[in-house]
Amino acid sequence: MVSDRVRRNLASEFRSSVLAKLGVVLVLLVVFVAIFAPFVAPHNPTTQDLDNAERPPLGIVQTEERTTSEMVDGEVQTVTETVTIRPDAAHPLGTDGLGRDMLSRVIYGARTSLIVGVLGTVLAATVGVPIGLIAGYYRGRIDDGLMRFADVSLAFPSLVLAIALIGLWGRASVAVPDPFVAAGFAQEMPATFVLPGTVIVVVGVVNWVWFARIARGEALSLRDQEYVKAARALGADDGRIIAGHVLPNAITPIIVLGTVQVAAIILLESSLSFLGFSGTTLSWGFDISQGRDYVSSGQWWIAGMPGLAIMVAVIGINLIGDWLRDALDPGIQGEGGA
Amino acid sequence: MSQGRFIAKRVLQGVGVVWGVVSIVFLLRFITPGSAINAVAPLDADRETRQAIARELGLNQPLHVQYGDYLVSLLQGDMGFSYVRGQEVTTLVFSKLPATVELAVAATVVAIGLSIPLGVVSATRRNQPVDWLATLFSLAGISTPNFWLGIMLILVLAVQLGIFQTSGRAVAAVEVAAAVVGPASFVKTLRLWLAHITLPAVALGTYFTALVTRLTRSGMLDELGKPYVRAARAKGLPEAVVRYKHALRNTLIPVITVLGLQLGTLIGGAVITEAVFSWPGLGTLVIRSINLRDWPVLQGSLIVIGTSFVLVNILVDVVYSSLDPRVVND
Amino acid sequence: MPDVSAPALDDDVLVAVRDLSTRFFTEEGQINAVEGVSFEVRDNEVVGIVGESGSGKSVTALSLIDLVDSPGEITGGEVWYRDAELAEEFAGSDAVVGDHVDLRRVPATVRRSLRGSSFSMIFQDPMSSLNPSVTVGEQIAEAVEVQRRAKGNPRRTRSRTQGYGLGRLLVDAVLPSRSYTDEESHARAIKLLEQVGIPDPAERADEYPHQFSGGMLQRAMIAQALAGEPDVLIADEPTTALDVTIQAQILDILRELQESGETSVVMITHDLGVIARMCDRVGVMYAGEIVERGRLADVFDDPIHPYTQGLLGSVPDLEAPAARLQPIEGNVPSLLDREMPEGCYFADRCPKAMADCRQPVPEYDGDASEEHAVQCVLADREYDPAVALDDTDGVIDDTDSVTDDTDGATDDGVVSGE
Repeated sequence: MVSDRVRRNLASEFRSSVLAKLGVVLVLLVVFVAIFAPFVAPHNPTTQDLDNAERPPLGIVQTEERTTSEMVDGEVQTVTETVTIRPDAAHPLGTDGLGRDMLSRVIYGARTSLIVGVLGTVLAATVGVPIGLIAGYYRGRIDDGLMRFADVSLAFPSLVLAIALIGLWGRASVAVPDPFVAAGFAQEMPATFVLPGTVIVVVGVVNWVWFARIARGEALSLRDQEYVKAARALGADDGRIIAGHVLPNAITPIIVLGTVQVAAIILLESSLSFLGFSGTTLSWGFDISQGRDYVSSGQWWIAGMPGLAIMVAVIGINLIGDWLRDALDPGIQGEGGA
Repeated sequence: MSQGRFIAKRVLQGVGVVWGVVSIVFLLRFITPGSAINAVAPLDADRETRQAIARELGLNQPLHVQYGDYLVSLLQGDMGFSYVRGQEVTTLVFSKLPATVELAVAATVVAIGLSIPLGVVSATRRNQPVDWLATLFSLAGISTPNFWLGIMLILVLAVQLGIFQTSGRAVAAVEVAAAVVGPASFVKTLRLWLAHITLPAVALGTYFTALVTRLTRSGMLDELGKPYVRAARAKGLPEAVVRYKHALRNTLIPVITVLGLQLGTLIGGAVITEAVFSWPGLGTLVIRSINLRDWPVLQGSLIVIGTSFVLVNILVDVVYSSLDPRVVND
Repeated sequence: MPDVSAPALDDDVLVAVRDLSTRFFTEEGQINAVEGVSFEVRDNEVVGIVGESGSGKSVTALSLIDLVDSPGEITGGEVWYRDAELAEEFAGSDAVVGDHVDLRRVPATVRRSLRGSSFSMIFQDPMSSLNPSVTVGEQIAEAVEVQRRAKGNPRRTRSRTQGYGLGRLLVDAVLPSRSYTDEESHARAIKLLEQVGIPDPAERADEYPHQFSGGMLQRAMIAQALAGEPDVLIADEPTTALDVTIQAQILDILRELQESGETSVVMITHDLGVIARMCDRVGVMYAGEIVERGRLADVFDDPIHPYTQGLLGSVPDLEAPAARLQPIEGNVPSLLDREMPEGCYFADRCPKAMADCRQPVPEYDGDASEEHAVQCVLADREYDPAVALDDTDGVIDDTDSVTDDTDGATDDGVVSGE
């Protein structure tokens, strides 16, 4: 499926591009952290510790004016004192308003983002690619129908469609046992992990059109290739031709689109959880929505840290997408929005 | 084919897409959990209300009759009634639309105004510090969630430096324009407007600025390497004419296509940006109507959003066809 | 680079290229696309440069008009151009000898200002050499307009915008307006289209390149190149992309131009038939060097360099078919600096290579006349089989297989410069 020429192009582009290397490092980091979250996270991300709430990240000392009133001799006396909150080495990225460790929350948030990003993309591709291939291969009515439908679904912005669907369907989620904790490791960590099922289905549903469009375009040009014609002349049935000849040659742009889509879906998922349309509370977007209330009082890190985490993950994936695009040059640019 | 006929064709296609949008929204009633009445009636409606609604919507009628009635009432500008709010949906939705349009236009103006010059400079000074900075900015820009960017902008520029307002919309752009001739102080109105709209427009526009910068840069590099550019230089054209009249024009053609395709992202972005800045537009309306289970308003908003998308794309195609003669002639 | 002291040039020499070198600095290494090339263009003369693809002939043409793009760079040599006004402007500097000015020693802005009016160029593929989204008439009118503005305000000719506002340019980029050119230039553009034999020129001027046939487009390209009334018209493979019948028409147009005394022509081609039909003088290029040059008759009737002989031999001759058809074995070398052999680059493919061919070969005068120059030891002495270059050493060794491997890569580098 991947020819030597493709492999050579990938390798030489990788060697010459600093950004491609950076992308791979960032993505590997996020993937590692997401998989081994129970071992990497210093605390249970859901454990509250109100005595340790609103602690700033390392290197930052927060001062806060606290006003207390008490009755002294029948009169109200207001005492204003400046409280200094120092960082705690146990919480390198600080703690949130309920004293939960930000670093651990960011680490567990990576799991949600990656799972939704990858499963959502796989779902979108599984739906979109076959439909696109069939439409492009047979052309005619099926193709017209698909293109008209694609035009209509593009008229609904992904985010709007997603929140509408979640609003109508409700937000179901599944608690999946954490395999490491179940196997007896890291017992202090959460025993289950919440998989936001509706969100995964919805982001898949709203993004399949991009895959269908790409697959259709490829199938349209591939159906007239000599080897496809030859296979047809030899009497191979259409299903076999599409699976055996068209799909393998259309795979490159689909992979590049898939990469970009993972990034787009991570952004979409964070938007959904920010707006409260996710089924889980362990998510970067959700933490940002929590942290938003603290922005005016100065605890910027509660919203800031998860946002930086999103940037790291999405920049990494986009860099890999650029690398693949430069090396494979499938001629798609800027398609596949969030 | 003349340009007029091309536009007429696109408008016809657009009507078809709007019809599709309307039909899908109609079908949304039936994928709502429970009966289709749930899609219209408020959650706490009593039996009589529900029956009244069912009669009014003709839910006991065959599907195609319901669909026909629905289309007819839409054509009359009637998008239903919000029992939750006790208001006509059409009135409600169109009262919120201007704020969203204003925000989206402001973001687009910011994006196009910054990105095209940045992309051109980046391409013509390839591998120089300006290019690196632009590349870095555009990479970060397409990778930053706009709601988070909005919060960080509020933190620094509104809360800490106090230059801008954290939320809300005090005056409409129309009022700023009116202040030029009206009794209100123009400068004061303008300032008030800028204080409110700047941050949401920047938060919403950053993704597009970054995206278009990338597209312009790579497109410009592509075009500058083409034979017609060399031929244009060979005939003695000044470099500025070669770059802007020839290369930039051809660069913009695909950029415009992508912008049209990404318009949905802009509208989706507006929804969430409005949520961050409490901007009283369609986005805020959509989210509130979902939380209130006010389905008629949600459906009306979806129709308006889908239709605006189609309208703007027709506009984009008109611009496109005047830039690229091949579209019209082929 | 040897410092060639200023030579005395004949009055009828319009352009004299001396020892010109152009290199491409690519990731694979340095490519010597043009190496020490010298030739002359006289008034009202057609000079042909012939060679296989990848021989550097197109880069030579681009170097002449200073249009070599990065990563290419003209690294040495002189281009003497006869222009009394320029000579006066730079009088006293070593860039001037008589009425001739060495363009390599004047500022780049001056070289740029000569494009269109002194040198202009037509390209191999007219379809990609015209902007697809601008009408043909407008593109020709631009070429007229540049010169019109230059005459109107000579001091601004060398600036980046030629005094044309950047803001207006940006508007031009978006609107299909004609604000850069004026009506006068458009009228002239239509005249030019008529001159090159395009029917209904007024209507066709408003059409876009994709509405033209290949032959008509090449005519339009010629019209565009003539807009500035250039002294030298460089034609880079002007007929390669065209049908045979249309090739003849295009060549006729170029021939008429030259006969009308308006311009000299530098004809770059791989087609010996075109050379034989069109040229007064010819240079044969191989691996970045001009290996043999002189009057057409001298070179074609009495070729000395075995490469020229081989090239002429590979042209099918209708009178005596099989007898003269003998393609040259082997490939054009890679032109990668680190892979270039010492001495003659053709030695590995040469049927008459001798031991001396591994030494640097000077340029000898040919027998026929002093204007016939050959870069081959055979101009100096007879072939002696006793000192023949060892086959196993020369033809089938390691460097040769490396050469074959990198051929594709080199083609990319050089062809993009063509």
